[in-house]
Amino acid sequence: MRAVCWHGRHDVRVDEVADPQILSKNDAIVKVALTCICGSDLHLYNGYVPTMKKGDILGHEFVGEIVEVGSGVTRFHVGDRVIVPFPISCGACWYCKHELWALCDNSNPNAWMLEHMYGDTGGIFGYSHLYGGFAGGQAEYVRVPFADVGLERIPSGVPYEQVVLLTDILPTGYQAADYCNINPGDTVAVWGCGPVGLMAMMSARHLGAERVIGIDRFPDRLQAARAQCQAEVLNYEEVDVAEALQNMTGGRGPDSCIDAVGLEAVGTGFEGIYDSVKQALRLETDRASALRQLAKACRKGGTLSIVGVYAGFIDKFPMGALFAKGLTLRCGQAHVHKYLPHLVKLVAEQQLNPSSIITHRLPLQEAPNGYKMFLNKQDACIKIVLDPQAGATGT
Amino acid sequence: MEQSESEHSEPRSWQRPRKMNVGPAERKASLAGGAALAVSGLRNLSRRNYASGLAMIVAGGMFLYRGQTGYCGLYDAMGVDTMHTQPGGLRIEKAVTIGLPPDEVYEFWRNLSNLPRFMKHLEAVEVTGPRTSHWKATGPGGISAEWDAEMMEDTPGQQISWHSVGEADIPNKGSVEFKEAPGNRGTEVRVTIDYYPPGGAAGKAAAKIAHGINAQQLEEDLKRLKQILEVGEETTARRTAE
Repeated sequence: MRAVCWHGRHDVRVDEVADPQILSKNDAIVKVALTCICGSDLHLYNGYVPTMKKGDILGHEFVGEIVEVGSGVTRFHVGDRVIVPFPISCGACWYCKHELWALCDNSNPNAWMLEHMYGDTGGIFGYSHLYGGFAGGQAEYVRVPFADVGLERIPSGVPYEQVVLLTDILPTGYQAADYCNINPGDTVAVWGCGPVGLMAMMSARHLGAERVIGIDRFPDRLQAARAQCQAEVLNYEEVDVAEALQNMTGGRGPDSCIDAVGLEAVGTGFEGIYDSVKQALRLETDRASALRQLAKACRKGGTLSIVGVYAGFIDKFPMGALFAKGLTLRCGQAHVHKYLPHLVKLVAEQQLNPSSIITHRLPLQEAPNGYKMFLNKQDACIKIVLDPQAGATGT
Repeated sequence: MEQSESEHSEPRSWQRPRKMNVGPAERKASLAGGAALAVSGLRNLSRRNYASGLAMIVAGGMFLYRGQTGYCGLYDAMGVDTMHTQPGGLRIEKAVTIGLPPDEVYEFWRNLSNLPRFMKHLEAVEVTGPRTSHWKATGPGGISAEWDAEMMEDTPGQQISWHSVGEADIPNKGSVEFKEAPGNRGTEVRVTIDYYPPGGAAGKAAAKIAHGINAQQLEEDLKRLKQILEVGEETTARRTAE
C-alpha cells in the first residue's frame, strides 16, 4: 500500500510499504476513505517532536471502512463505516474507566520514554515513538488496536467528509470549550484561528457563549473565524491583544481564554525574539507568547483552556498572574471517545458543520505538497483532506 | 521489608562458606589455561629448557589451584574480586498499580512460569519443586545465564520473595509485594530485586545480561504485566507480524 512517511525535517514522501495485518484479537484493519493533515503534524514536520524515525507513517485523523476484524471484536463487522479517534485507548484501565481516554495506561508500549520526562500518556496514531510508535492514517490501510473500544460507527447517509474532523479537531475544540464551563453571557477568547481554534469557537458558540473573539494574524483565518463561527476578531500584529480584550469586555477581560496555538507560537517584538532565540539554542523547547497573553488577558477567576500542543519547557511563565487572579488551568489531549457519540449526533443533525472549514481536497499522492502548503499557509489553506483511494493502484 | 534494607548493605555470598574471589567462568578458564601451561612446561623441561619449563609449571600449578578452589592469592593481595565485584550488589525497585484484586495478581505471579511473559530478559522459569525453580535468562547475541532459585516467603495475596542458590551465574534475590490500592484502584505491586553482577573478563556473558536488568527494564516489565492482566495481552504498535 501507499503511505505518507516521515523522512526528516520538511521531508515527507509517499512510499510503498507492506499492508498492515491483524496482530491481536482486538484489532481491526480499516481501509482509509479520508484522512487529514493536522496542525500538530506540522510539529513533526518541523522536527519539534523527538523520537521520529525515517519511514514512520504519519497521520492521526482518518475515517474509513472496516475490511478485517480480529476474533475478539464483537461490536463491529467488515463493511462498517467508522470514525477512528486519534488517541488509542484500552478501555480497561482506571483512566479509560474514568473517561480520561487520552491518558490510557496500556495503549503506549513506549510509555517509559515519557515517564522519564514527566509521566506517561496513551498511544496516538502516527505521532512519534514517544506516543507508542503506531503507524498513522495517511495511508491506504491502518491496523486499529482495541477496535471495540475506539471505533465509532458513522450513521448511514452521512458522508465521510462530514465526519472526518471528528477524529481529532472537533472533539479537541469541543473539549477546549467544555473545559471553559461556559455560562450565559460569557465571552470566550480563542488564540489561533487555525482548524482547532475554529472548532473551539464553533463549540463555544454551541455551548452558549455570548461572544467569541478569535485572535490570529492571517487575514484568511480571521475571515474564516468571522464567517464560520460568527466571531469577532483581533489581529495580534496590529493591536495589543490584552488591552484590546479589556476594552471589548468593559474592562473585565474574557471569562475564558483558549490556547489553540501551542509550542510554536509566533511572538511579536522583544518577547517573540526572546523565545525564538531560546528555542533555537535549545534553552527553551516551547515558545510561549500566546500562553503569556492568555494569562494576562483573562478575567479574575477565569479559566485558561489549553489545547495547543506543548511538549517540553517554557520560560517566563506568568505564574503570578495565575495566582493573583485565581485562574483555573485546564489542558491536555482530547478525550475523543468521551465526546464522539454526542458530536456524531450533532453533526448528523447538522447542528454543527465542522467540514465547512475544509479548504483543500488532494489525492494522498499529493501529501508532500500539502504539507508544504499547509505549513506556509499558501492558497488560503486551512484544512487539507487527503483521499488515499484516489488513483489507488487497485489494492 | 525494612529488615531487607539492612541485610542488603552487607556483602554476602549465599551458599558459599569458603573464601572465594574468582568467578565461575574465570575458574574454568584458569583450569584449562593452567593445565596447558603445565603441559608446555613439562615439554620445555624435556627439551632441557629448565628455567622456563619450571616457571611454566609453577605458573600452571597456580592457575590450576586458582581454578580448582576459586581463590587467587594474587587477586586477594591486589584487592580484586571477580566473584563479588559489587559488594552489597545493586538494588532496583519499581511499583505499578494494576486494576485487579491482590489475590488475582498474586496468583498470576505465583505461577512462576508466567514471569517470562512480561520479564523480557527471562527465557524460562521452570518450577522444580514446591519451593524451588530453575531460571534461564538471555541477553544480546544469544548469550545466556542460569540459576536455581528458592522461595523464601510466600504469603498468598501479599508477598513472594526468592533468592538464587548454588553457583548462580547472576547471584540475585528479589521480592514482590501485593497491596490493595485505595478507592478500588486495584493492587499496588512493588518489586525489589538485588543482584550481584559477575565481574572479570570471564564473567562477560552473565555481566551483559545483568547489565540489562535495570530500573527501566523492570519498569517496562511491570507495564507489560499490567497490560497482560488488564487487557489480556501485551500491547504492540507493530504493523505487520514480521
